[in-house]
Amino acid sequence: MTVLTIRYLLSTRRGLATLALSWIPLLLVSSLALARVPSFGILLFQSLMVPLFLQIVLIFVTLVNATSLIREEIDDNTLPYLLTRPVSKPTLALSKYAGYLVAAMVLLLPPVVVAYGVTAAYAGTGLGTDSEVLAGFLAATALAVIAYGALFFFLSVVLRKPLTVGLLIGFVWESVVGSLPGSVPKLSLIYYLQSVLKGMIPVGSLSGFATDVTAPVAATVLIVFAVIMVVLAAVMFQRMEFRQKA
Amino acid sequence: MSAVVEAKGVMKWYGEVLGLNGFTASFNPGITGLVGPNGAGKSTLFKLLIGQLHANGGDLRLLGQDPWNNVELKRKIGYCPESNQLYGWLTGQAFVETLLRLDGMRADDARKTAEESLAFVGLTGAKDRPLRTYSRGMRQRAKLAQALAHAPELLILDEPLSGADPMARVQILRAISDFAKRGGHVIMSTHVLYEVERVTSNIVLIHNGKAIASGDLHAIRALIDEHPHAVRIATSKPRDLAQALTAMEHIVSVEFPAPETLLVRTRKPDAFYRELPEIVVDRNLDVHGLESPDDSLEAVFRYLVG
Repeated sequence: MTVLTIRYLLSTRRGLATLALSWIPLLLVSSLALARVPSFGILLFQSLMVPLFLQIVLIFVTLVNATSLIREEIDDNTLPYLLTRPVSKPTLALSKYAGYLVAAMVLLLPPVVVAYGVTAAYAGTGLGTDSEVLAGFLAATALAVIAYGALFFFLSVVLRKPLTVGLLIGFVWESVVGSLPGSVPKLSLIYYLQSVLKGMIPVGSLSGFATDVTAPVAATVLIVFAVIMVVLAAVMFQRMEFRQKA
Repeated sequence: MSAVVEAKGVMKWYGEVLGLNGFTASFNPGITGLVGPNGAGKSTLFKLLIGQLHANGGDLRLLGQDPWNNVELKRKIGYCPESNQLYGWLTGQAFVETLLRLDGMRADDARKTAEESLAFVGLTGAKDRPLRTYSRGMRQRAKLAQALAHAPELLILDEPLSGADPMARVQILRAISDFAKRGGHVIMSTHVLYEVERVTSNIVLIHNGKAIASGDLHAIRALIDEHPHAVRIATSKPRDLAQALTAMEHIVSVEFPAPETLLVRTRKPDAFYRELPEIVVDRNLDVHGLESPDDSLEAVFRYLVG
């Protein structure tokens, strides 16, 4: 099931579209390098990666892929082929989520590395000089894939139109919540992702980000959140009935 | 052996819509046809049997067990859904092989078994093509191949001949018969009685979510033969085919409801289905789909239920 999901997410037209989208950071840093923008360097790389990659590209790629896991099987009438195999529904759900994790990591981690490499090469600093920046963004990307994926996967199990709700959460709530006062920003995933980045990258665009959560705690919160979402999705899936039209 | 499926007063509601209304019937070993018009509850019963739906009331037993969330029971059943939707991006071989892997089969065994199953339904030549390129008849056979591949005890086939061309029908019916001859049990639904008759005389009639009759279909044949049976044929040469068919004395009427479509009514469906493949081959005609609108059977059911 996991292999089937990986093949589906990576080899269909959806996979090619999300693959192209995932490489936008490389397109951007390459453009900056070719245009010889004077301020282009590791600091500008950080400034661009949070709003462009984490808050747009990554959310879109995880949303499109994770919401398709169960809902498209239901909408496409292919779910009976899986439900008539000697595999429990929770196992099917977990296998699909595992397949999504692999596919999303394959789609989203390499562009971070290559974009960082182009930036370092342009700045002439060498790949190891700002390795904490690379490590920070790789960690944040991996955690975002896990957490957003779990959230959108849960939505795809419980909602008929998960994409709409996912868009609202991913692009509206996650974008505006940071500017709300008090502890409200803690109700978003991006808050913990930025906390991870701030904890791992001492100098950069997130230096001024106000958080009282350390990187390890933020990472733990994201992983626990993901586990809860996936378990809830599996439980709901187990109890669900599937009335499909021919 | 006791009944393959035992249903006692099974109820299924979809909100305020009734899917099954106290359905009570026994499906005996061998091949049984579940016959009823569209909307009668055939697919609902099947979805309950494969554990896709949960009954609101009554008692349903498949091979002596409750099918709802019964993982082990699924090793014993092969299911062919009515929908022709498949994983279009997979080849026929990959489709069957992947599902066999879900049955717990090792990769080498799954590859070999998938090849054998696709050969069994006559799809060897197309096994490496993506499923999206398959015709309706080929899709039906691919669905049957995945249902048969893991050697189940019971096949549950939802309208397995729907839309299949004459050659595909022959191959599908042959595969079903061969499976039963090896000791397997089959429950196949259809709204075309004559399709079932080719492989069994054992039927359960379902209407408005209730089993209204069961047993030997010959008992109701005389009644059904009073009503002309309609067949919609998709062909690129409808006029040539119409000309050939009107020579048959049992043809009551021929209509052209749409381009490349012929609607035929016959008083002898058996003879019609038997003779059609020969006509198609002899005259080199292109028939790419056969469907029976269920109005003729609906008339019989209205009569049966008063």
